[in-house]
Order: sequence, then C-alpha cells, then structure tokens
Amino acid sequence: MRAGNRKAALLFVAALIPVGRLMAAPVRDGGGHVPERVRRLLLATLLHDNGPTPEVVQPADSQGHTVNPAHLDQPLQLERELRASLGKPLGATRLSVTGGSARIGHYSVGSDETIHGHVVVLEGSAEVHGRVEGNVVTLDGDITVFPGGSIIGDVLSIGGAVHKVGNGTISGTVQALEALVTPPAGPPASIMGQILRHGAGLAGLVLTLTVLGFGLVTFGRPNLEIVSDTVTHSFGRSFLAGLLGQVLVLPTFGMLVIGLALTIAGALLLPFAIAVYVLLVLVTTIGGLLAVAHAVGERITHRRMARGIVVSPNSYRYVVTGLGLVAAIWLGWVAFGWVPVAGTLMLMAAGLTTWTVATVGFGAALLSRGGIREHFAGRLIAPEMMTDEYLWATPQFGVPAVQRPPKQPE
Amino acid sequence: MRRLVLLGVVLGLHDLDPSRCSGQAMRAFSVTRPVAAERFLHVTLDFGGGTVVLVPASAGELYGLQLRYDADRSAPVQQYDARTGILHLGVASVGSMGVRVTSRAQLEQTARFEFSPDVPLALYATLGASDATIDLGGMTLTELEIRSTATHATVDFSRPTRGTCKSATFTVGAAQVDVRHLAQAGCEALRVDGGVGGASLSFDGAWRRDLSLVVDLAMGRLTLQLPRGTGVRLTGQRFLAPFDSKGFVRTGGIWTTAGYERAPHKLTVELKASMVGIDVQWIEQR
Repeated sequence: MRAGNRKAALLFVAALIPVGRLMAAPVRDGGGHVPERVRRLLLATLLHDNGPTPEVVQPADSQGHTVNPAHLDQPLQLERELRASLGKPLGATRLSVTGGSARIGHYSVGSDETIHGHVVVLEGSAEVHGRVEGNVVTLDGDITVFPGGSIIGDVLSIGGAVHKVGNGTISGTVQALEALVTPPAGPPASIMGQILRHGAGLAGLVLTLTVLGFGLVTFGRPNLEIVSDTVTHSFGRSFLAGLLGQVLVLPTFGMLVIGLALTIAGALLLPFAIAVYVLLVLVTTIGGLLAVAHAVGERITHRRMARGIVVSPNSYRYVVTGLGLVAAIWLGWVAFGWVPVAGTLMLMAAGLTTWTVATVGFGAALLSRGGIREHFAGRLIAPEMMTDEYLWATPQFGVPAVQRPPKQPE
Repeated sequence: MRRLVLLGVVLGLHDLDPSRCSGQAMRAFSVTRPVAAERFLHVTLDFGGGTVVLVPASAGELYGLQLRYDADRSAPVQQYDARTGILHLGVASVGSMGVRVTSRAQLEQTARFEFSPDVPLALYATLGASDATIDLGGMTLTELEIRSTATHATVDFSRPTRGTCKSATFTVGAAQVDVRHLAQAGCEALRVDGGVGGASLSFDGAWRRDLSLVVDLAMGRLTLQLPRGTGVRLTGQRFLAPFDSKGFVRTGGIWTTAGYERAPHKLTVELKASMVGIDVQWIEQR
C-alpha cells in the first residue's frame, strides 16, 4: 500500500471509532477509554508521524535548564520550564531532572523493569507496564499504566491524559492539564470596520448623553443653567475646584466610611451612604459635563444669532450643540485612530480635552452646590449688597442704563 | 514608482492594523488522588467565578477536581501534603485583570470538586461571583465554613452526615445562600453571617442532634423553614427586622414555641439582624 493510501485507510478507521473527548480526558480506569486511546494513537500516527525519535535527554550544564518533579503542585510553572528547555531540533534538548531522568519521544517501561526516580517524558507518551518508583511527567503526551504496571508516586500529563488500564495503579495524585489551545485569531478587522466600530461607540455615547441632557433640561433646567453660568463666568475657578474635587473624592469616601463605621447607627447607614456617595459623584460628573456642553452650546448659538442666523435659543439646542462639539473632538480619533502613533496621540488629546471639560463641569457643579448656589454664576448680586441705598440708586425696571460719559480731556 | 509606493502604503497599513484580536484561552485541568491511609482531610477551597459543583467522591477516591478555567487570568491550585492532610484546591488569579468584554459562555469557568465521604473532612470554601451547588450528604464532616460573595449558593445535606461536626458557618456577602436539610448536617453550632444578602435555612430531614443557630445579618432576608413540632427558642437583637411570630410565645425578650421543653428536637436561634425581613415557615416533617 502506498503511503497516501495507508494514511487514508488509517484516517477512515479513526473516524469510525466513536468520538470521545479528544483532549484532556478525565482520569478514569481504562476499559471505556480504550477505543479513544486507539483513536488517539491512530491520529497521532497520522498527524505527528509517530513523534520524535525516542532518546535519552542529556543533562544540561550548570547554566542550563533544570526541573525538580518531586512536587507537582505547580503544573503551569513546570510546563513553562519544560517548554523552555525544548531545543531546536529536539535532539539538541538538554535538561537536568533532579532525582530522575528525562527522555524525548515515546517511552515505555517494560513489565520486568523497575525505574527508581522521577521520569520526565518530552513530546511523547509514557506507557508503564512495569514499576516506577517516582513521579512521572509527560509534556504533550499521555501516561498509561497497563495491567500489572504501577507508579509509586504522582503523575502529571501536560497536554495529554492519564489512563489506567485494568489493575494498573497509581499511588499518588493524578493530574492532567489540557494543552493550551488558543483559538485562531479572527480575521483582522479592516480599517473601515474599525472606523465604523469606533464611530458607533462614539455615537452611542453621545446619544446616551443627549438623552440624559434632555432629561436634565426637562426636569432640572434651573440647576443646569446655574451650573452652566458658573462654567461661563468662573471657568478657571471651576477647573481648580474640579481638580481639587477629583483629588478629594477617594479620601472623602474613606473618611465617610470610617466615620460611619465607628458608630452603630452609622454602621447601619453605611450601605446607603456608600450608594448615595457613588451616585452623587456620578451625577455631579455627568451633570457637570452636560452643563459645560450647555454653556458651550449657548455661546455658539448666541454667536450665530449675532451673525443674523435665525435659530431657536433653548436649552435643548444648547446641550445638543455642546455635545456635538465634544463629539467632534473625538471624530479625529474615530477617523484616524488606526494610525499607529498618530492614533494614540489623538486618543490622548481627545481624552485630555474631555477630562478638562469634565473637570470644569465637576468643579462648577461643586461650586454651585449642584446648581443651587448662584455666587459664581455672575447672575445675582449677593444679598448682603442689596442695601436700600443700592436699590434706590439702581433703576430696577424700564429705565435703560446710561453709559458713563467719556472722560473729558484735561 | 507611484504604484510601488501605493502598494507599500497598503501593505504597511495592513501590517499596522492594531485590531487583530486574540482568541480566548480556556483550559481544562483535572486531578484525582486515591485514598491511602488518610485520617482526615483539611481542605481550603478557592474558586473565583463561574459554576461550582461539590459532591461526594466515588469509592476509593480521596479528592478530585475537574476544572475549566480562563488561562489568561487564573491558574489551577492543587497542593496536598499527605503528612498533614492539608489540601489547597481551586483556582488563583494570575495575569491580566480588569473587565473582559465578551460573551459569558466563552469564559464560563466550571469546577467540580469531589471529596471522599469516608475521610473526616474539614472544609473551608471561598466562592466568589459563582453559582455553587454543594451536596455534603453522607460526608464525614468535622467542620464547615463556606464564604460566598456575589454568589448564589445552594448547600444541601441530602443524606445525614457522619462523624461529629463541630460547626458550620455560612458567610454571605451580597449573596443568596440556600441551605437544605440542615438538620442532617449534624453540626452542633450553626452560624450565618451576612452583609447584604439573603439566607434560606431549611431544617427538614432527619435530626441528628439538637442544634444552635446564630444569625448575624445586616440587610436582606432570612427564611427559616422549621418542621412542625420542633422546639424553637429565639433570642437576640433586632432592628427594623420584623418577623411573623405565629407559633411562638413571647416571654420577655425570648420567643419560644409551645411545648418547647418537651419537643424531641430543639433549635436555639440567636438573632442579630438589622433591616432584615425574617420569614418563619412551618413545614411538615418528612
């Protein structure tokens, strides 16, 4: 039979055998797994061409790889060490085994043999018909203990399975670690696909913020306008307050938790306090961001009106316009984010700008106490200044303010 | 020349495409150990997230674990000292952290723990973000502690346990724990500690001894399912924790069932609860 025909026949036989769990079969006594083992053997014959030529691995020099299989409780680390020791070609592998020996390729312990010490088998299976007094480790191979065979120790199969056939015995711990099979990476996304994905993400975020903004305008317009005016009139102060607020968010939270935990009543309130605090920070941040968008949108709308463009000046428009401007900052990243270095720089720039905007909004929300206090909004004179003299001297209704006459030259 | 430059640009763009996604790396691990001459097994079990099943092992098996875990973030733990009988089993966090956005099914970690019912077992289990189904029926328990956070855990003593169990403690974080056939646990002292969560304790089954239960819950719901005829004595501190006192007689700060002294089985409950809904259900003894 020609080689091609023989392989086809073997493949046919393998396909006929009922499919079991091919990899990392759980450790069970042999009977039910023999067909699977045969199938694996056939597949191994077909796919791996019987593996590497069996040979003893020469010990490594003092600087080379050494493993100690006396304790098999770190299988991942042992796997790393064994894989690192594999040479190219395999025949060039050098590995020292503390208290034992290493082999490459399939390894079999005869029924009249007794092996003293640990056995490490690389790129092959271990079949035990005799007796092994030590631990057995295989890398990319099964461990099979046949009737009459025994392993007085622990076994570990990395990338294989452990089988006991008949009265074959293993006195210690039996471990099987499946080969790490990482599914093949999906097809690389096209540049257009990436742009669309980023664009969809941005659109979703802007849409969400728009909905939140409309809700805020509908149900909390006075507060939003006060925060927005605070942004406009106290921009620098808002930024500094926001920066300080960000720094103090966590310490304040810690102090709150500790303070409440110290008292019985406080401890009961702790879950509520935590939830409320987190909610407050979130609302302040998002509300502040929307207030900045409102302020920016208001300024843009007023400028357009000043140019004679007829638009309806309302808070909904302000919010949409402002959010559109924030989104425009990210559009550059959406369009060119795939460019290796420039994309990262754009991401950083957009992130920094958005953080600045959010910080200003956060600070304005703090300064205005969530849109309650108008001190920094530049809209009202402080109550203490509302003296009778001021009110008498200041026209309140119907009288246009007169500009101060220009100074006459001396 | 221009074509060459264009070709180079196109190839360059293709190579620089950063969105090549890597696949998930789930991995299977199994371990078993046969019973030798062990006198007891002291198990510390850790499982971070996923689905946990714990059942008695088959005859001749000391312990076993079949695990499927996220190899990028976890590593199997199996450390057994035959001299002391101390076993650490489960998964430990390694590698990258953070939130991974993918389908839940892809990263579903599963673990099946098995322990010999014949070897005295002290079990300390920590389960996080898991669905746990634990059957301790027929085991030789000496001590039990189950800590679950963000978990739904069902603990069942489907058959009476063997041996002398000193205590069983269930600590729930923001979790729900359902304990069934608790009477068959045979643990002298039962304790439920909870933060924000719920606990359902069913005392049906064959009573092995009189029991004492301490419940310390901060917020949530406590359901006690008690067989009719059981003598129950309830004391403790409650704050905003009303309970239906039907079937109880109050004497000072103590609630007892009628005929408590003559009851064949007694349960003493010490309750420390605040903002907990307490539901007492009387069930027929089977």
